Amino acid sequence: MLDYFIVVFVGGAVGSILREFTMLMVPNLADGFPMDILVANLVATFLLALVTALHRRQIVSDKTNMLIGTGIMGGLSTFSSFAYGSVVLMSASTASAIVASVYVVVSLVLGYIAVIVGLKLGGHGSA
Amino acid sequence: MTPLDVMWVGLGGGLGSLLRWLTGRVVGERYHSDFPLGTFLINVTGAFAMGYLSVLFMVDWHDRHGAALNSAVLTGVLGGYTTFSSMQLDAAKLAEKRGHVPAGFYLLLSVVAGLIAAALGGALARALG
Repeated sequence: MLDYFIVVFVGGAVGSILREFTMLMVPNLADGFPMDILVANLVATFLLALVTALHRRQIVSDKTNMLIGTGIMGGLSTFSSFAYGSVVLMSASTASAIVASVYVVVSLVLGYIAVIVGLKLGGHGSA
Repeated sequence: MTPLDVMWVGLGGGLGSLLRWLTGRVVGERYHSDFPLGTFLINVTGAFAMGYLSVLFMVDWHDRHGAALNSAVLTGVLGGYTTFSSMQLDAAKLAEKRGHVPAGFYLLLSVVAGLIAAALGGALARALG
């Protein structure tokens, strides 16, 4: 049990630091579109799905799945910044409310595609 | 951003991720249904806390590098606690069992509840401040 505590803590720490670096490296678009959070969320979603599919096929062990899936990808992705960032944009102006709406829809649709593709690739791809 | 800020994000992110994992386990043990209640509760409470604390700390939601408190609590704990990737994975698992329509409904419900929670959190902090 303690093993899992350590694995989730270390994975979450690494994932969160990766998210911080992503926020520093990926610029936002001129209209305020939060491209950095979108990139972090989509990468994490795709890789979480891939690891989950490999874990289902027992290619990846329970602990590796916890480290990468629950820890790193859970730490890299974020819902709180996604939601609060959208709210701030929505209340700023009509133009940025439109940007926020596009951001929310694009995040959901691309995220859903990312998870389906990740599960498919890991499920019966060459991986 | 300093190396110290990175350390705070890591510490907070590790703690937040532990909290997410434990919350998910506790909810999963008590509630048995296809609906992914654990991730839903985690994300909605995390969004509320983000709204409340961001206004309390008076930071622009995006420019919060520097202050240790912001790095540790907002970027670290709340970022690590909430998850976008698990929400999408839960939706895909729901789709495997029940089809794409309930999965889409779960995603929509999570986002609408999350937006309302974040707005309410901010409003509460402003009302109290």
